[in-house]
Amino acid sequence: MNLLEVQNLTKIYRRGSEEIHALKGVSLTARAGEFISIVGPSGSGKTALMNLIGSLDTPDGGTILIDGKEISGLPERERVSLRRHTIGFVFQQFFLIPTMTARENIMLPLIFSRQKIDEAWIEQILAMVGLTERAGHKPHELSGGEMQRVAIGRALVNRPEIILADEPTGNLDSATAEQIYVIFEELTRQGITLIVVTHNPDLARRSHRIVTICDGIIHDESSTGTDDS
Amino acid sequence: MNLFTLAFRNLRRRKVRTLLTIAGVAIAVSVLFSLLAFNAGYEQELTKEVDNLGIHLLAVPKGCPYEAASMIIHGGVIPKYLNESDLSSIRNIPGVAIATPILMHQFLLNGTPHIVYGIESSDMLKLRPYWHAEGRFFSDTEKNVMVIGRGLAEKENLKVGQILNFGPKKEPFEIVGILDRTGGQEDEFHLVSLSETQRVFGKEHKVNAVAVFLDDITQISDHSDEIEKIPEVQVVTMTQVTGTIMNLVGSARILLFSLIAVAVVISACGISNTLLMSVYERTRELGMFKAIGASSTDIGIMILTETIVITTLGGIAGVGGALVGAGLIEQFIRGAIPYAPAGSLIAFDPEVALICIGFSVILGVICGLYPAYRSSRLSPIEAIRSEAV
Ligand SMILES: Nc1ncnc2c1ncn2[C@@H]1O[C@H](COP(=O)(O)OP(=O)(O)O)[C@@H](O)[C@H]1O
Ligand SMILES: [Mg+2]
Repeated sequence: MNLLEVQNLTKIYRRGSEEIHALKGVSLTARAGEFISIVGPSGSGKTALMNLIGSLDTPDGGTILIDGKEISGLPERERVSLRRHTIGFVFQQFFLIPTMTARENIMLPLIFSRQKIDEAWIEQILAMVGLTERAGHKPHELSGGEMQRVAIGRALVNRPEIILADEPTGNLDSATAEQIYVIFEELTRQGITLIVVTHNPDLARRSHRIVTICDGIIHDESSTGTDDS
Repeated sequence: MNLFTLAFRNLRRRKVRTLLTIAGVAIAVSVLFSLLAFNAGYEQELTKEVDNLGIHLLAVPKGCPYEAASMIIHGGVIPKYLNESDLSSIRNIPGVAIATPILMHQFLLNGTPHIVYGIESSDMLKLRPYWHAEGRFFSDTEKNVMVIGRGLAEKENLKVGQILNFGPKKEPFEIVGILDRTGGQEDEFHLVSLSETQRVFGKEHKVNAVAVFLDDITQISDHSDEIEKIPEVQVVTMTQVTGTIMNLVGSARILLFSLIAVAVVISACGISNTLLMSVYERTRELGMFKAIGASSTDIGIMILTETIVITTLGGIAGVGGALVGAGLIEQFIRGAIPYAPAGSLIAFDPEVALICIGFSVILGVICGLYPAYRSSRLSPIEAIRSEAV
């Protein structure tokens, strides 16, 4: 069974009398542990799709199933629970709290999910994102790549099934972006489903599948042949 | 880590702004606390002072009885007099234990006002057994002697045995005693026998008031009626005096309370504004919080906590500051009210302190509600897209 099933999704933004059809019937599926790249020109609806899957926003039509459960019509309380336990977000801007250390930033979602701090798990995450040595540093003492790795650690802390990353390497140079993708590849091996928006074709080719969106419609879907499962 | 540590962390991020907001609350609360403490202290001191007078009622000339009474307590001169014959009439009323005359006179010496308290020391010392003097008191008939208050003696560097040129004719008067500090107005007085005061200042057979001590205080209203049968005489009881002064102070207090209300409203606007600003600045961060699992309630609680922390710290600082600055505040209040007893006006009451701090917490809730509501309603996608840093 697919972990994620998106069917015929539509999204309309209204700005005054103007209607913007950001998504015009998008369908997409993902298996557990699958690594999908979303590519497409600016304004094509990539972020809109990510926000809908992450239940930050509600669609105007279509369905989103996670673990076979329809999520788009859920009440706010259950959508919050979904964001707490099932989905992890990574943004282009890292959105770290400047007064908190790397370790504290990683633990931040535990405040909201009311989870006990499992020190061993935090150490494991720090090791996974390669920040064991930098755990006590505040964001301004870290490089861009390190900051984004903190953000990935933060997305991981509640053991999500899906990680949504919207242009995570958009602010990083290619060598640093490379390190981020090494981490992503490791995460897929652990069974986490990754959906990553990128503009970089070389990076996109490292995922299992590339989905191209143009003007709110999926134009092309191609397997990269890297999926050995 | 929990929502509260998160709120604390955030306040520490903008230290100056947080401190300024706390200071705003602290000022408002310290004024409030001082006034409440003053209220308690004032009434306490006034009652003590009136009790110290050791009299049950004052017989004064008809006219403005309360002014007359408060001037006699406070010091000052009333241009109205009773006759010595009224004094004997009062003394003849059954139930009057002691009736002793008072004549006040004020003169200027080197530009400062001096008050002469003309009394019959034999009776007055019965009413005020706590009066002790270095040296001695004068008898009722002794001429050219005086006792002065300790405050006056220190101010003018006067000693027992010294001769003062006294009155319009500069008559030599010997200081035979210096009254030990009583904490009352008499610390600044010249005490002279009634007959000498009348003679020196040309007020023969005149007195300003008669202080009366009754055998039985419960009979005070019957005795008052009896005394008021004497023409030209009006009675003021000490409870009336206290009541009148408290009323006078009451109107000054309303003014001060209005000032406080303004201060509180200003600081409340300041707090709300600070919070709204900090919410606005953090729009994207709050959006991110929602994306990583914060509920609207979580965000609201966090912002509300921030306000309550600010106002509670402000409340504690305000009460602390008021205690430290009590002296200054007391001076200010003394200038602002019509009559101030001599003792300390500020009574520190831990209950009042708690009320003030409780008030600060409530202020925080009120000021924080709107910013908390606003931030909890933030749409995460709008927040993350927004231009705010
Ligand atoms: N909140 C919004 N209000 C109005 N229009 C929006 C909103 N969000 C996105 N859009 C519009 O929807 C379209 C798709 O946007 P988006 O998903 O952000 O594109 P992408 O991420 O692919 O660059 C764009 O035309 C954008 O201007
Ligand atoms: Mg986008």
